[in-house]
Amino acid sequence: MKEITELNLPEDIKYSDSHEWAKVDAEIITIGIDDYAQDQLGEVVFVELPEVGAALSKGDQFGTVESVKAVSEIYTPVSGEVVEVNANLPDAPELVNNSPYDEGWIIKIKADDPSLLASELNDLKDKAAYIAMLKG
Amino acid sequence: MDRTLKTTPLNSWHRSHGANMANFGGFDMPLWYATGVKLEHLSVVESAGIFDTSHMACVMVTGKDAFNLLQICHTRDLKSLQNGRCVYGAVLNELGHVVDDAIVYRFDDTNYMVCVNAGMGGIVASHFQNHKSTLNAAFEIACDVNVSDLSEKVAKIDIQGKNSIKVLKKVLDPACVDTLFNKMPYFSFKGDFSVFSKTVNTSGCCCSSLCSKSEKSSSQVKLKNGTPLLLSRSGYTGEFGFEIFISPDAVVGLWEDILEAGKEYNLIACGLGARDSLRAGAVLPLSHQDIGGWKFINTPWDFALPYNENKRGFTKNFIGCNALLNQSNPNQDSLNQANVNNTQNVKYTYPFVGQDLRKIGAGSDSQVLDGSGNIIGKVLTCATDMAIGWHNDKIYSIASPNLPEGFKAKGISCGFILVDRKLDVGTKLTLQEKKRQINVTVVNDVRPDRTARLKISNFL
Repeated sequence: MKEITELNLPEDIKYSDSHEWAKVDAEIITIGIDDYAQDQLGEVVFVELPEVGAALSKGDQFGTVESVKAVSEIYTPVSGEVVEVNANLPDAPELVNNSPYDEGWIIKIKADDPSLLASELNDLKDKAAYIAMLKG
Repeated sequence: MDRTLKTTPLNSWHRSHGANMANFGGFDMPLWYATGVKLEHLSVVESAGIFDTSHMACVMVTGKDAFNLLQICHTRDLKSLQNGRCVYGAVLNELGHVVDDAIVYRFDDTNYMVCVNAGMGGIVASHFQNHKSTLNAAFEIACDVNVSDLSEKVAKIDIQGKNSIKVLKKVLDPACVDTLFNKMPYFSFKGDFSVFSKTVNTSGCCCSSLCSKSEKSSSQVKLKNGTPLLLSRSGYTGEFGFEIFISPDAVVGLWEDILEAGKEYNLIACGLGARDSLRAGAVLPLSHQDIGGWKFINTPWDFALPYNENKRGFTKNFIGCNALLNQSNPNQDSLNQANVNNTQNVKYTYPFVGQDLRKIGAGSDSQVLDGSGNIIGKVLTCATDMAIGWHNDKIYSIASPNLPEGFKAKGISCGFILVDRKLDVGTKLTLQEKKRQINVTVVNDVRPDRTARLKISNFL
């Protein structure tokens, strides 16, 4: 298991307390699970994805990430509509381990309310605050 | 790391090789290494892997009445157990509940070793000590038996998989290799007490006859450097292999030698994650999870009970046997109110397989639903065997002969349920944990074409 100092935690994304990450590109937010979560879970063997078009509110469970040892629910850190799911994950779930922020992204959400989005993003942690939380 | 956790002599090795560590039975143990649990699982089914099992405990039972004490404390009828053979069963309390499961090794009529689970050495040794009085009462004489807990004084490595012998041959003393693997059936062992003699001497718990006996023994098994070991043809994966008992100060060297010798066979170190998924696919129970604080009966492991031929009684008396018999024959004494209550608590344990690799969490939050949606029990274990897959309604393993074209082992979830009624093989059920559900089928067996019981000549 990685030490906190060994974790890959990019500066340009936001982190949730339940170990999802969100990257904002205008009104499209890409969501995945972070390096800490994938390391804790171990080898991911299955990712259950939502339907494109599903309407989600912040905190909704939108899927599961399953490793050989555990099943973990994943929750959206922002509200909006699912506009894309990572079509490579059904055949290559290990992308979540090998490339959690890039090829292993899970869903893209379109936020329809900019002010709500701003406030939801504000509730998420930046790298420093997230590390502080992990250190307890 | 939690400072209260115990460690095995291999702890530094695990930590310096990228292991994901966790508390298991009070020990800081590797769940998986950087290789990942899937590859570790597959390596044992395809070739070979090694496991640090030094967290397990050994209890020595010696003396003229060693047999008599074990005969009342263990569920197997040990009358037929020969020297150099071992047998799997359970240690029960008076309620028929499982204290722990245990393999009894018979060296000779006055020397036995009992291998139990992590943290259980002291508890099982105390249980044996307490039942000396039961024995004394039965025999009306003070019995001659010594019980000593060797927890953390003996180290253990399991090498599992079809290439285990080829690897072991490279690390063992060539002088003993020639004859060693002749006639070594499943659940037999070679080697002797000299493995433990140093331990036993320093802890002062050994009768001198053990050590002198070991010196005289002709069945020594040694490493190339002369270190003695005890080699048992058994394991917890369902695959061919051995459990190796050795002195704690020699275990790291042996571990590294096995890894080096095993390179050409792609042998890798495996953690408890792979151990759990391998044993689930092999329909083997995890003590305190699949067997525990309920009656040890109506399980897939009924072979561990000493049933007589008509299966209505036992061939011996042992602690817990009355509680089990009351449950197994509820109609014999239906006027007995205690018994009626008893039958209401009858529980059945069954193996199941899922439709694909998806699992649910086991434990108290889980539920087993029958076809009408009634809750009939809970899930004890749910793991994924990544070496198997469905093909036209049949399960194949990557090790199966004549694999159908296009077969891909995508993994299948499997495990055990505890339910309140008898179920037939083939019964369809739903397992549920919170909002998550999977559909499963009751089965007799899970991973096909396992190698544990095959003749040793297949692997030489």
